Formats: sequence, structure tokens, C-alpha cells
Amino acid sequence: MRTGLKETGAIIFAAAILYAMQRTTPLYSNITSPVSIAGEQGKRTDARAFALAVGDVHLARTVRIERFGQTRTYTTSGVWVLVEAAAEAKRESLTLTSAEWLGPSGLRYSLSQRISTMPAMLPAERLEPGLPKPVLMAFEVPENELAGGTVLVAPSAFTPLGEEVRVAITELAVGDIPGAVTIRRSDGPMPWTLETE
Amino acid sequence: MSVGQRSTLRQRLFAFLVAGLGGLAAAAASFAMTVYEASNSRPTPTVAAGEPIDTGRWVITFRGARTGSVPPTGTEPSQPKTFLMVEFDLDNRSAATSNAFASMFDIDPPITDVQAPAFYLARDKWIASGVHPGIPEHMIAAWEWPKAQPLPQDLRLVVGSQIYKRRDNLYGGSGWFDRDPVAIVALPVKTEMVVGPGQ
Repeated sequence: MRTGLKETGAIIFAAAILYAMQRTTPLYSNITSPVSIAGEQGKRTDARAFALAVGDVHLARTVRIERFGQTRTYTTSGVWVLVEAAAEAKRESLTLTSAEWLGPSGLRYSLSQRISTMPAMLPAERLEPGLPKPVLMAFEVPENELAGGTVLVAPSAFTPLGEEVRVAITELAVGDIPGAVTIRRSDGPMPWTLETE
Repeated sequence: MSVGQRSTLRQRLFAFLVAGLGGLAAAAASFAMTVYEASNSRPTPTVAAGEPIDTGRWVITFRGARTGSVPPTGTEPSQPKTFLMVEFDLDNRSAATSNAFASMFDIDPPITDVQAPAFYLARDKWIASGVHPGIPEHMIAAWEWPKAQPLPQDLRLVVGSQIYKRRDNLYGGSGWFDRDPVAIVALPVKTEMVVGPGQ
């Protein structure tokens, strides 16, 4: 009788251990996820291969782009998020092709490809070691995913165990979203100017 | 052979028998269920235009189909071409921006010499890239229709579905995986008058 009790106990114990192991095994996507480097808005964050500093973040309902004397208006059902930043390669020339807006609920918004033809957009800029370059990122994000957002920047979205800089966006005027922002080319120190209406 | 040895041998034989019969029963039940499901396959439901279709990763609502000589960009091609265009609303229900809608639906039955369609974002009149979660978009799929093929009066589309697996069977990674079609959509094709130069 006592041996039967012991056996039942052992089986339950083994099942519990197996269940716990099954539940706590990290996902393959977790094991191979990028190594994240936390940064602050307004400060330089150094990864091994590149450095990034996120400056001002502008919001707008529509984006107007002036090119070749024509203005194109880009509407969105969400809100345009324009991130001004500077990036620099550290060891060899590279291009940061992946940037995401991570909303507070965990949703990921990739760079909007719609205005990707503007100069100085992050995935089109080739970065050289020691030469910081101003870069612009554009996201389309629903209003409820704005506050508490994080910008994730990586050389590539698919490299397992690659580097990823995460910058929490703390300075963001979510309450007052301007109607339109016009992006113009500029010959000044920054290759663009942003004009809020 | 002692009495004790004989009883353990009998016990082991019994255990083997139980395990073997149980395994056989499980295999037979599984096989029977597969055969039953294959012979009694549920027909894919037909959905009318304007009704939202939940495909797992996307919610898609077809608005209508039309033919025309001008692609959704609004720029007439230099060589006269005919396009078959399907308008739909698309909502990304997954957790990340994705452009995987391109293979979600197809013409049924497939036509071999029709190329895959190009997808346009209606608000930009330009080629669509990824659709963001929580931002539904009005989109247009445009097939360049070959001259040798007659234009269809009614278009039948088969809409596939995908499910999310936290751990896939091969790597244990998370992702979206194709499942059976969830809907057939029949759309009447509106014909646009073709007005060309010299006509």
C-alpha cells in the first residue's frame, strides 16, 4: 500500500517537473532575439558597430513633402511620428535598415515605407565610421500606442543575436497633435527642415 | 523457474499487451478520423462583398471588382494594357507591421498565365508596403490581364487563413502558418469602357 502511494507521488512529481520545464523553456525567437542596448532620448547610445542619438520626436496628422516644386500630402488613419536622430558607424560602413516603434501594448510598427524617398531617411543612409549623420525616421502609429513608446534600431531585422538600440521616448506631446508637418529639403546643417502648422 | 519469477514475467507480458493494444487503438482512431474528415470535408463558405472575413492574421472585406486600362496609380501605361482590379479593406490583427497579405487570396480556379497581382494603397495611389496593426487600409489588388485570356464576368477568389503558433514544430519559433482556405468570394466584375486614342 505504502509503495503504491510512493509510486503515485513520484509520477505526480515527475509530471510537475516536466510541465514546469515545458512552460519555462525559452522560445526559439527569445534565444535568437537581438541583444538590446538601452538608451535615453537626447543622449548618445553606443552599440559595438554603431552609435545612435535620438533627438526631437514630432507628431502630425498629415505629412506634406515638397519635392521638385510639388507638394505631396500623405494622410494616415493613425498619427505620423517623425523621429530626428543622428547615427554613426563605428568600425566599418553600414546601413541601419531596421527601425521599429514599440508601442506600450507590445505592438511593433516598422518604418513607414511611404515617404522613404525623402533624403536622410534612416534605411537609405550609408553611415561611415567617425562621421555622424543626421537621419530621419517616419512611423505611422495609432494614437493609443504613442505614449510610452520605444524606438528600436538595428542594422538588420533578421540577424539572430544582432545588436539593437532601444530608446524610450519620454518627451512627446501626445495631447497636442498638430494638423500637418511639412518636410523640405535643406542645404543647412540638417538635410531637412520640419515646419509644423 | 520460481513462482515469483513467473509472476513478474506474466506482469510484464500483460503490460506489453496493454501498451500494444492501446497504441493500436490510438492509431486506428486517428486514421479513422483522418479518413472521415477527408470524406466529409466541410465546404468553404461563400462570402458576399462587404462582409468582413477573419483569416486569423488579417480581417479582409472585399468591396468590388472592376476592369480598366489605367492602373490604380492613375498613370496610363505607354502600351495599352488591361487590368483586373479588386478593392478591399485590410486590417492587420497581428502584433507587427506586415506585408504578408500578398499571398492571402488568389483567383479560383487558378489561371496559369496571369501574373501575381500588384497591391496598391488607395490613399497614396501607389504601391503598398506593410500594413500596420490597428491602422486599417483601403487597398487595391491589380492583375495585369493577358490579352489571350477573356476577361471574367464574375470573379471567384479563394481566401486563405493563417494561425499563430507560439512554438512551431521545426524550430520552436513563433510565427504565422498557413491553414485551409476560410472563404470563397464571388464578385461581379464591372467593366470600364475602354477609351483609347483614335476611338
